[in-house]
Amino acid sequence: MMRRSLRPQAEGYMLLLPALVVYLIFAFYPMIDVIRQSFSEWNGLDAQSRFVGWNNYRVVLTQDPVFWGALVNTVLWTLAAITLPNLIAFGLALALNQSLPARGTLRAIFYLPVIIASIAVATIWRWMYDPFFGLFNSLLTEWGMSGWIQDWLGNRKLALWSVFVAHLWSSVGFSMVLFLAGLQGVSQTLIEAARIDGAGRYAVFRHVTLPALGPTITIVLVLSLINSLKAFDIVYGMTGGGPAQSTQMLAMWAYTQAMQLGSFGRGAAVSVILLIITLVIVIPYLRWTLRRSTT
Amino acid sequence: MASVAIRGLKKAYGSVPVIHGVDIDIEDGEFVVLVGPSGCGKSTLLRMIAGLESISDGEITIDGRRVNDLEPKDRDIAMVFQNYALYPQMTVAQNMGFALELAGRRRAEIQAEIARAAEILSLTPLLDRKPAQLSGGQRQRVAIGRAIVRHPKVFLFDEPLSNLDAKLRVQMRSEIKALHRRLRATIVYVTHDQVEAMTMADRIVVMNGGRVEQIGQPLDLYDHPANLFVAQFIGSPAMNILPAVAVAPGQLRLSDGSVIAAPPGFPLRHGREIHYGLRPEDVRFGEGLPGHVIDVEPTGSETFLVVSVAGHEIMALAKERLMVAPGDPIQVALESPKAHLFDAKNGLRLRLPDAA
Repeated sequence: MMRRSLRPQAEGYMLLLPALVVYLIFAFYPMIDVIRQSFSEWNGLDAQSRFVGWNNYRVVLTQDPVFWGALVNTVLWTLAAITLPNLIAFGLALALNQSLPARGTLRAIFYLPVIIASIAVATIWRWMYDPFFGLFNSLLTEWGMSGWIQDWLGNRKLALWSVFVAHLWSSVGFSMVLFLAGLQGVSQTLIEAARIDGAGRYAVFRHVTLPALGPTITIVLVLSLINSLKAFDIVYGMTGGGPAQSTQMLAMWAYTQAMQLGSFGRGAAVSVILLIITLVIVIPYLRWTLRRSTT
Repeated sequence: MASVAIRGLKKAYGSVPVIHGVDIDIEDGEFVVLVGPSGCGKSTLLRMIAGLESISDGEITIDGRRVNDLEPKDRDIAMVFQNYALYPQMTVAQNMGFALELAGRRRAEIQAEIARAAEILSLTPLLDRKPAQLSGGQRQRVAIGRAIVRHPKVFLFDEPLSNLDAKLRVQMRSEIKALHRRLRATIVYVTHDQVEAMTMADRIVVMNGGRVEQIGQPLDLYDHPANLFVAQFIGSPAMNILPAVAVAPGQLRLSDGSVIAAPPGFPLRHGREIHYGLRPEDVRFGEGLPGHVIDVEPTGSETFLVVSVAGHEIMALAKERLMVAPGDPIQVALESPKAHLFDAKNGLRLRLPDAA
């Protein structure tokens, strides 16, 4: 039998094809369709949807009080989520990059929460936050600090940040691993050269470690930015957006509008707005860091 | 500039010793090259002088001051690394001025030092470039400039030319030598390339397995190697070594039974086993033992011949152009007054009784 081999490019496309099909059907088509839906009205049951132009956007932006609350929450959440967990992750990575005993075990422990499904994380933390039987309030009672007892997820002023702590716990490990990988790429010779040049610990960090981590920092920031803008599952699992919409976020609100309130058009409009916000922040940042690294 | 004294220096990683007691005296302004095969401990020794490796036992003094427990920055040394180790985010000028800046020197002073070093190394037009925009040779010059601006007591070079191509290596070799003459600097230079060691050093320290095999001037090592290791390591191509046994007075029997005359003057006991060492350029043709040509390597100015004789393949160097081809029979004279004899047991070179 004669064997014919394909040209290398053809082979490449062949190998890409299955993944491409999946992406087109489950990522690209829904993205385009959500844009179409945002200009139409549909309750999810009727055979036909109705084109309504910009109406969904007008309603969402002018007549929907929850939207603005969700937007503010998303912004606050995002600001907190790209700073606090990453600073902690960076600190952990620096510490775990030293030659400590049991370093590997410690790394595994800090990474462990990342592999837990977020709905399980939400359940674990919901139990710990339980006002009557939860870990936190029990501990506070035990330590004689009952004045600090809170309804962690039931207090409108507190709920968002209680959820955020759970998010922090589950996301620190991911950034930590990226930072550790980055730290391992820092040239030992360069550190030695700096030591000979007279650099102390801080100067080595400032002039060798930090510059070498530039690309890692960019990746960590972009990933945590995207992750926090689309924050959904942990909120869904812990509070469902409540109490009184105080933990409502844009991704969650898009889902609620479409799936629970049966207004697919408005849900789609919220999604598109979230997409635009994400692109407006991420694209210029990536362009800026790419330009900086090429010069 | 300063002298460096290394006394009884030892290094062990855990229970694994890597340097077994090294003594070296380096004089003020001397260019000393540490040379040896990889894993011989030369880089470790250099890094111990720099303060990048701890000292397990013994002592290092720079200019009479014991530096064992001093941080690298307090030892008044500068080091040039094989992979240049330039700060990628800094310009050439910033790279060179970094140490001075950390030392808190005044801006004008730093600028003047950078300008002077750049002038010496022809880096002036490149001062605003980043390392990524430089060629390998330029980067190594910047690394040297970074050392120069500090006026250190000792310059340490760790295989600085190994990442450069052959042509650039030869050029940088003479530049570093010129720099040494100009600065009258004390230099400790590590390389695995014995040609680099021969051409650059005032004195060479040949190391092997964590020990010093011999210290001496380049030609001294070439003409009077202390032992088999130095004899084979110094010189390219390497010295031919043939096992032999002393038979009748002044006669050596090679492993195939051929008998040749020993170099005159050695009182060799009958039956003593030795190694007969002959440099390629001391092999003569046209008389002597019958052999045949295995390979011919003409370089233009001279010709390398690999010949099979007395049951061995030996390397020979002929200054003239030989019209021979592989397979041709050839007469090979292995006898030479310049031949060396080494003790077969301990590898030490036998010395003439009256010369000792």
